[in-house]
Amino acid sequence: MESFRAVFVAVFVGTSLVVGAVLLNQRRPELERSLPTADLVRATGQCASCHRDETAAVVEQYDRSAHNRAGINCLQCHGPADGQEGVEHRGFEITPAVTSANCAQCHAEQYDQFLRSRHAAPAYAAVTGPDPFTPEQVAFAERYHPGAVNRPANELALLEGESAIRSGCATCHAVGRPNADGSIGTCTQCHARHQASVELAREPRTCGQCHMGPDHSQLEIYEESKHGVIFHAMRDELNLAAPPDELTTADMSVPTCATCHMSGLEGAGVTHDVTERLSWWLFAPVSERRPTYLQGQDAMKSLCNTCHAASRTDAFYAAAEEVVADTNDKVAAAGALMDSLRAEGHLTPAPYDESADLVYFDLWHYYGRTAKHGAFMGGADFVQWHGNYELLAKTVELREIARELREREVR
Amino acid sequence: MHAMKSRLRSPAWLLEAFVATNLLFLVVDIALAHSVNEFAHPAEWIPLWFSGLAGLALGATLLAEDPRRGGAGRLREVLGWLAVAVGVSGLLWHLSGEFFQEFALASLVYSAPFVAPLAYTGLGLLLLLNRRLDADEDFAWGQWVLFLAFAGVAGNFGLSLADHARNGFFDWREWIAVGTAALGVGGVLVAILWPRSVPARQVAWVVLAAQVVVGLGGFALHAAPLFDHPSLEGLAGRVIYGPPIFAPLLFVNLALPAALGLWVMGGWREHASR
Repeated sequence: MESFRAVFVAVFVGTSLVVGAVLLNQRRPELERSLPTADLVRATGQCASCHRDETAAVVEQYDRSAHNRAGINCLQCHGPADGQEGVEHRGFEITPAVTSANCAQCHAEQYDQFLRSRHAAPAYAAVTGPDPFTPEQVAFAERYHPGAVNRPANELALLEGESAIRSGCATCHAVGRPNADGSIGTCTQCHARHQASVELAREPRTCGQCHMGPDHSQLEIYEESKHGVIFHAMRDELNLAAPPDELTTADMSVPTCATCHMSGLEGAGVTHDVTERLSWWLFAPVSERRPTYLQGQDAMKSLCNTCHAASRTDAFYAAAEEVVADTNDKVAAAGALMDSLRAEGHLTPAPYDESADLVYFDLWHYYGRTAKHGAFMGGADFVQWHGNYELLAKTVELREIARELREREVR
Repeated sequence: MHAMKSRLRSPAWLLEAFVATNLLFLVVDIALAHSVNEFAHPAEWIPLWFSGLAGLALGATLLAEDPRRGGAGRLREVLGWLAVAVGVSGLLWHLSGEFFQEFALASLVYSAPFVAPLAYTGLGLLLLLNRRLDADEDFAWGQWVLFLAFAGVAGNFGLSLADHARNGFFDWREWIAVGTAALGVGGVLVAILWPRSVPARQVAWVVLAAQVVVGLGGFALHAAPLFDHPSLEGLAGRVIYGPPIFAPLLFVNLALPAALGLWVMGGWREHASR
């Protein structure tokens, strides 16, 4: 009897503990237990146990992210993707740099759309030219943006020097920088790293990190526009975190940059090709229609028509295109004057070495662009005072310089 | 030679030798455990230094004529209380870990193991116990040693569960460790509940034998990645970040004082009659 009692109690207690352990283990989220490798399981908590002390902010950011809610853990993004060489980090093999290749493991469609956009290779090539890219990458980008990658490095940036490029130009243009793993760009430029946030990408200021300033003052124009004013007035009532595929005007009754250029508002197809809904090359000195002019304009107009009457949209486009045409004329006239001065030998062939070069550059690069962007974004003041008035002023200044140069020759 | 032989037959001396070797071994164990977070806080060095100094001091006094009397005896008293203090303060440090910031099962698995520092408390209590009870005179000596070993076995069950949950019991064999640890709790508990029952102690002996076998087997399994771990470069990385190599030896280690307690309890009448 004593023997039975001893064995029974020992086995009963032991079994109870094992059953308790199994039940406790099953309480762990299925996502944690069903991961394909032991390292991925460990990463569900091991990373945070150190980084909560060492880099606390990133853990807090991740905790609030959609990635966390979806059960995506650190190693799924920080583990080496194809083409990346891993490094040992406290028992895990991780990649030293998370690139779009890591994001593309799950978000392949978005990455493909991004690759076709001007945010990809053309953005970085605008500073560096084609050298950092592989021939395949150049060929791919040239299919969608002829001449945007196969182009000389930016002459102005070269004159300003390496540090200006590194800490200035490249900071924004790195959105399309080629990575060692063969991918291009980093999604975190817009979504941030550990937030991985759709909400953040829909914030006007996120786009405005780069799309601001005299050369492309989209953020300033937006802030002045009715869209921007209403956005700030109603910010608390908007649901910027709505899933992209399900975004409705109930979530965002007023648009931000991403709403018009990328969103799937009311069933429109979501796109990460930010050039898909554009119809003009507004950045150019003399703007031309894009090869996809009609598709781009139709796509954008259908977005506009989600909130505006089609007739209003058509009228808005017609007015904006008038500004483009007039600006083209003004810039073309200034360009012709520069060509004639150069032909007459009053200017050197070298870029940006004389005041006339810089006046002309300001004319089209700052004020021409500003007038055109202002027209397409509803920024009246930018069409007028920051655009056309300055265009006129720079035209007068350029004519004055031309007159002086020609008179100097006569004397 | 004769003195050494008689010491090896003395449960009290063997218990203190167990404590001394444990303290010295903890130097290595703490070095590895705290290397995981690169000794992020200076306080993490305290148990390492304490283990080394206390282990050496205790080891030296074990060679004294009568280790439990005079200066050596007082040193034990001090070391005992210090070990209790280190264990309790370590517990409090570990309590500030993630689990107590965010009370969730997952964070318990990945927090600093808050019961682990209680190993010091257990060792300290063994020293203090040895000062207060005579293994040859008091039946309670064996009971207390078994009880403290039981506390360790119970802690080992929790640690074994949390450690293996960390990688999601990716290998089914990880459940063997948990099952054996659970059986260890039941088996030793039986001997505590019915200390004078021979069958109860026999069950405990069998269970302790299983702990030893599983502990050694686990050690072999944990050591295997030292030679071939896919994502860790270098021996140091594999030892620090690989499976905790010495953890399975805790099964064996806890079986020793438990066996000592059972041995004394089983032979107490024989001792008393001499």
